[in-house]
Amino acid sequence: MRVRLFRGSSGVVKLSRGLGQWGYSLPARTWIVVAWKELLEALRDRRTMLNVVLLPMIMMPLVISLPTLMLSPKAIPPKIMVVVSDEGAMDLAQQIKSLESSSQAQVYIVTGEGDFSNLILNGEVDLVVEIPKGFLRNITDGRSGTIVYYYDPYGARSSVAIGIVQGIVDGYSHTILKERLRAINLSEEYIRPITTVAKQVTAGGGEVSTGEVLTAIVIPMMVGLIAITGAGTFAIDMIAGERERKTIEALLTNPVTRGQVLCGKFLALTALALISGISTVLSSIVGVGIAVSSVEESIAYVQATKLIDPSKIGYFIVGILLTIALGGLTGNAIMVTAASFAKSFKEAQQYIGFLTLILVVPMVAIPYAPQSLYPYLRLMPISSLAMFARDMIVNPGELAAVFTSLAVSLIYLMVFLWLSSKMFVRESVVFG
Amino acid sequence: MAAIEAISLTKKFGDLVAVNNLSFSVEEGSIFGLLGPNGAGKTTTLRMIYGVLKPTSGTARVLGVDVVHNPTKAKSLMGVLPEETGLYPRLTAEENLIYFGKLRRMEDWRLRKRVAELLELLNLTDKKYVIADKLSRGQRQKVAFARAILDEPPVLLLDEPTLGVDVMSAREIRKMIEDYAATGKTVVLSTHNMWDVERLCDYIGIISEGKLRYLGKKEDLEKLVGEKEFEDVFVRLVKGDVVES
Ligand SMILES: Nc1ncnc2c1ncn2[C@@H]1O[C@H](COP(=O)(O)OP(=O)(O)O)[C@@H](O)[C@H]1O
Ligand SMILES: [Mg+2]
Repeated sequence: MRVRLFRGSSGVVKLSRGLGQWGYSLPARTWIVVAWKELLEALRDRRTMLNVVLLPMIMMPLVISLPTLMLSPKAIPPKIMVVVSDEGAMDLAQQIKSLESSSQAQVYIVTGEGDFSNLILNGEVDLVVEIPKGFLRNITDGRSGTIVYYYDPYGARSSVAIGIVQGIVDGYSHTILKERLRAINLSEEYIRPITTVAKQVTAGGGEVSTGEVLTAIVIPMMVGLIAITGAGTFAIDMIAGERERKTIEALLTNPVTRGQVLCGKFLALTALALISGISTVLSSIVGVGIAVSSVEESIAYVQATKLIDPSKIGYFIVGILLTIALGGLTGNAIMVTAASFAKSFKEAQQYIGFLTLILVVPMVAIPYAPQSLYPYLRLMPISSLAMFARDMIVNPGELAAVFTSLAVSLIYLMVFLWLSSKMFVRESVVFG
Repeated sequence: MAAIEAISLTKKFGDLVAVNNLSFSVEEGSIFGLLGPNGAGKTTTLRMIYGVLKPTSGTARVLGVDVVHNPTKAKSLMGVLPEETGLYPRLTAEENLIYFGKLRRMEDWRLRKRVAELLELLNLTDKKYVIADKLSRGQRQKVAFARAILDEPPVLLLDEPTLGVDVMSAREIRKMIEDYAATGKTVVLSTHNMWDVERLCDYIGIISEGKLRYLGKKEDLEKLVGEKEFEDVFVRLVKGDVVES
């Protein structure tokens, strides 16, 4: 017999019905049985599944890649108008026009004079480049020719356009400079007495690509955030929801201890944290990949497309999985403790919303923290986890750092688990 | 040995003494009814016996097992239908039963057989795959009742088993209670409905304001009532009056 539990017959429903029948053959271990039931309930809660699993999978690549993608001249070329008032400057205008052939911009050339600021206000062009009368004259007389940019200070695309045009102008200027120096027999070095060279210093010693840098910054943050907040909704449902729906009393009439019940719930929460965490990490990597490739096409300084050093991929995967599992457990232990104080679902959500904010701060701050703070960040709750993820991605060879952040995270986990078990068993919590 | 012994059970919530020094014992194989008005302390008494509330003082024994000192062992001897059915709304009727059966360590084959049998007995077979949220109040109560007798515990505790349930479902549940007791099991139920007591119980305890007002066989109370209205006697017992024939 087929009975539909929900409208439509989605894969989730089929899966959860299968999981339901599977219950008969489970081993009679309380925590496994409890975890089975919690996962079943979570799967049936389609709205939460959508929020926690599906939404991040779609949103992450968008949030990460959209800004760079939108600003990438290749994806959406900025519109540039070159106003040539000086007939003699036509070859500079043509050089700017050549940006079109490398499809970095759309360039329109007009001759004559006029007020073109309206075009910018209307959003018809992103940048107006004016080459005023007397431009060439100044140059041939050995003075400096002036070019005027009219741009929108609020428009990021205006700045991008200036950057591109400036590249052409610099080249043009450089050619003139070289001619002038040759005429008076001076070398370029003579007028540019200092050159600078930037060299990367990394623990591994090798060069890192932009992709790797982005991965090292974005992934630990994402992982930490998701691990801590991802299963929070489920945590509320399992603790405050169990109380609000008054199912906890019947549950506790069984020959099981509250500790066993809590263990089962944590097992399910960790599984859910892993599902939401892994899906978020994968989609973040996709996002970083799109962002990097769109940057690469326009800016030459990125040499490599790789996001992760292939020789460190093992550490990366282990690091991410451990962080998600530990973070999920720690986050949930904190959430469970908070939810245990609440009499209703709504109250629990308020506590958890507030807690989430507090927990998120160290995560977001880590990419900006000075290196000298790292040893302390490894000792703080939650941030130790993000540091662990970072250590595993960036320099897994530094064993002392890796083990410190891992050990500290484990200790905090124990503390929060102990706290949550104390809270969960209070009588006033169950029958308050 | 008594199936249940309540020994000076007392529960205080702050200043309120919800259950006040309650002692009684229930013979094995009998049906004991705890009768009393709303707020009398019936639910609190039962909760202390089935081990989810800690007594402020006193204790209870189930087939000789102390519920305060050995709650897990005691709970394995009791099937419970609490005041709130406590079914998981997103799980089907069948899954709700599987969950408790597994928590009570029933073997796969025995659980399968028992679930099918109970759903059949309670006319719920066609509701097997329906989530609890979509069941009627009476159907939910029947599933919760099935859940309480799933592993055929020697002692069954029911908190107002027919309260708010439609007439047909209430009848089915009453019949199941009688049948269960007929197999030699002990049943303790609470109610504020005298007709349940009249129809089902062998022994009666009348409780009000946390105190036991009457304890004895149903026949004895019937004799006591005699010509008078049962309700009248009940009201006077609840008030703590001494009633004489
Ligand atoms: N968790 C609790 N906290 C405070 N007071 C309670 C609690 N549970 C019950 N009470 C009070 O104890 C008294 C007895 O309640 P209860 O045992 O539910 O009565 P009954 O089941 O007979 O209607 C009532 O006055 C009730 O308000
Ligand atoms: Mg009650």
